[in-house]
Amino acid sequence: MLKIIIPTIMLLPLTWWSKPSMLWINTTSYSFLISIITLFSLHNHNDATHNFSTLFFTDQLSTPLLILTSWLLPLMLIASQNHMSKETVVRKKLFISMLVTLQVSLIMTFSAAELMFFYILFEATLIPTLIIITRWGNQTERLNAGVYFLFYTLVGSLPLLVALMVKRNQLGSLNIMLLMFNSPPLNPSLTNQLMWLACMMAFMVKMPLYGLHLWLPKAHVEAPIAGSMVLAAILLKLGGYGMMRLTIILNPTSIDMAYPFILLSLWGMVMTSSICLRQTDLKSLIAYSSVSHMALVIAAIMIQTPWSFMGATALMMAHGLTSSLLFCLANTNYERIHSRTMLLARGLQSILPLMATWWLLASLTNLALPPSINFIGELYIIISSFSWSNFSIILTGINMLVTALYTLYMLIMTQRGSMSHHMKTLLPTFTRESTLMTLHLIPLILLTMNPKFIMGHLY
Amino acid sequence: MFRRVLQLGLGPGRLTRGLGTRRGSFTLDWEAQVLEVKKKLRSILPGEPLELHDTSHLPPEHSDVVIVGGGILGLSVAFWLKKLEKKRDAIRVLVVEQDHTYSKASTGLSVGGIWQQFSLPENIQLSLFSINFLRNINEHLAVVDAPPVDLKFNPAGYLVLASEKDAASLENKVRVQRQEGAKICLMSAEQLQNKFPWINTEGVALASYGMEDEGWFDPWSLLHGLRRKVQSMGVLFCQGEVTREKAFLPSSTGDMKPRGVWVKMDNSLEYQPVECAVVINAAGAWSGQIAELAGIGNGPPGTLQGTKLPVEPRKRYVYLWHCPQGPGLEAPLVADTSGVYFRREGLGSNYLGGCSPTEEEEPDPANLEVDHDFFQKKVLPHLAQRVPAFETLKVHSAWAGYYDYNTFDQNGVVGPHPLVVNMYFATGFSGHGLQHAPGIGRAVAEMVLQGGFETINMSPFLFSRFYLGEKLQDYNIL
Repeated sequence: MLKIIIPTIMLLPLTWWSKPSMLWINTTSYSFLISIITLFSLHNHNDATHNFSTLFFTDQLSTPLLILTSWLLPLMLIASQNHMSKETVVRKKLFISMLVTLQVSLIMTFSAAELMFFYILFEATLIPTLIIITRWGNQTERLNAGVYFLFYTLVGSLPLLVALMVKRNQLGSLNIMLLMFNSPPLNPSLTNQLMWLACMMAFMVKMPLYGLHLWLPKAHVEAPIAGSMVLAAILLKLGGYGMMRLTIILNPTSIDMAYPFILLSLWGMVMTSSICLRQTDLKSLIAYSSVSHMALVIAAIMIQTPWSFMGATALMMAHGLTSSLLFCLANTNYERIHSRTMLLARGLQSILPLMATWWLLASLTNLALPPSINFIGELYIIISSFSWSNFSIILTGINMLVTALYTLYMLIMTQRGSMSHHMKTLLPTFTRESTLMTLHLIPLILLTMNPKFIMGHLY
Repeated sequence: MFRRVLQLGLGPGRLTRGLGTRRGSFTLDWEAQVLEVKKKLRSILPGEPLELHDTSHLPPEHSDVVIVGGGILGLSVAFWLKKLEKKRDAIRVLVVEQDHTYSKASTGLSVGGIWQQFSLPENIQLSLFSINFLRNINEHLAVVDAPPVDLKFNPAGYLVLASEKDAASLENKVRVQRQEGAKICLMSAEQLQNKFPWINTEGVALASYGMEDEGWFDPWSLLHGLRRKVQSMGVLFCQGEVTREKAFLPSSTGDMKPRGVWVKMDNSLEYQPVECAVVINAAGAWSGQIAELAGIGNGPPGTLQGTKLPVEPRKRYVYLWHCPQGPGLEAPLVADTSGVYFRREGLGSNYLGGCSPTEEEEPDPANLEVDHDFFQKKVLPHLAQRVPAFETLKVHSAWAGYYDYNTFDQNGVVGPHPLVVNMYFATGFSGHGLQHAPGIGRAVAEMVLQGGFETINMSPFLFSRFYLGEKLQDYNIL
């Protein structure tokens, strides 16, 4: 694992000692190289885990997320070049340092072998994200957004700290591999139920669960593009990953306690999809769509069957790429028209046809068109929730319909129709932007061919 | 409060703190320590200081549409933008107005007439739409818990007098007006004498009189009613101006369209950048300046880049006089053959009117001072000749206001500029902007939201006619 962490940490001296003209080139190219190293952990003998040390390990659940994290850093750098071009060199370097710090914490989080280590790094990811949102966001509302983001997540995760310490005292060690064999079944008492809640709430807020999702539209909308990308693609998945790891020690309390949360997430999935239909702000629409997809993931993780876990990991990976791609597309709109309102940016297909292709592909993957990995994830989750309860098919069916509705609404509003007059002199698509979109789409398409990599550890 | 607690807490123990402490100060000295930390941070980090200023009085840093000019046209565009947006709060609008007392704005100083007797069909349609809007004003401008808008509309009609040589063109015009649906009647000199006995019909061959939907109303009530309604719909207002020093945020892509507007706050040196997608130039008499600041007209003359917006302020005087033997309550808004106009004002035998000066006698628009000699020399003789009762009038007061005068063809400019693509105009109506304001607002809002004119086709009013040289002549401009 050090072979990934040390180069990522060394990206910091790289940014500070680069010549200003080579700043973006250096950081982007070296972060690409680092992402190739992470691909090596995909090689798995007999479904065993890679135990790098007592602190770091990867298995088929964390490897795809790790690869996604390291793949996303160069993409974030590519996406930020335009809006950072007006800043001074010191500020640019500060921004990149924030991204790299966040990257280090994320890599260590996903490869953490011990739950306490995981928790510390989970909290550590909050600070660089907060700085990115509040310092480099666009509107005055970003301060409010940062506060919401920080305090929702923090308050949710404090009980987790207490619960982890209690568990360590009980079990002697919080090493995930040991926990798989070591954890005793919990008896059904109020204490254990509260402990279940304490463990899960942090990740529920992070995912986010429908009732606790208020921070997400604010944070996603007010963050700069790199912030939105990392939030949507990775930070939400921290919640899912944490939940999957923690369910090992929480049986059999999960069977009863999970019930209200499955209901809440199934209902919230339909609610947030419907809200998307009424959104006028493009980024806000994509943010609510993230909540909706993640609600499916929460439901799946709570159900805890092999199929649902496979669906959850597949959907997490697919959503990471798709959501990040949609945010990048919305950002290209914003940089040209300086407004996020969809009404003012219509009919783009006639002037930017290549960008329309990317919009189309992103929309198709977002609405879970077969055979994309989004579809595989959603299908597995819907099947497992049907087996959990027959009635849930109504809600998940409605959700698939409404997802298709709002995705197509977004596509048609921005791409089709007649152009507004004030868009006649838009700049054509930059190669950098098209590169960014292809780098999102190529993994999506390749994984469609061979999705077993993202199916998680229960495949 | 915290300090006082500390003072009380540390007070009795002062003797034990040693002889180094002075009376009246205490070791914690919070503010000085904060200042020291701030100074240190400022020396380490370059760039702006760390203080958080209170910015609640400033406009927001981002808005989708910025309307420069908060008079009747600007407010009408804001109203229709909010009315035609398909979802609530879909579009954020900011109206920048330099003077919230509207002391120099043309709206408040206007005579307030409305008539359909134009020669361009689009102007007639605009008037018909506007009178419909004004008749049903409380359906459009109703705000919860606020009193209804009373426009004080006097439907007395508009009377145009034509001499022999203009009689034929007047007849043609009335035919066009009747085709569009206006109800105008043509009267010969005897019929005119029968209808209005106080008129001296010498020199009048033909007169056209609007039977319905013409007259005058109170522009202030419309302005404030619109303002109230627009604020309730969520439009933000700010008192500031777009000045010469810093006007528009330059585009990051190097082309002509501004990325936003610099608003200089009123009575201060503070500038606030407002990033926006669309700028609407509804600045009335000052629209020419605003267009110049956006780069319209910077180019070799004769090219599209070099075509300026030909709107400039022209000063017009309005005189209010008292004449007890005057025409009475039935007097319409009368436009004489000589270009002099007058109308009744109120119920106490007061009248107001004026005249457009010829090109040579144009007064200096630098200030709004009234020239009373102009009345005596140019207006009174024609007035007295047309209405003999006005020989004994006594001038009560007078004021001056600006026309946003379009030097090209005295008709408005509506719609986007072909090169500076995100600047839309709603200006240049040279004296009849107020009566067409609802229609113009709707046309501009349709252009912004839907990409074209949907209801009234205002494409003859686009900016490109200045470059192509096609004049939109509408005769009989007061």
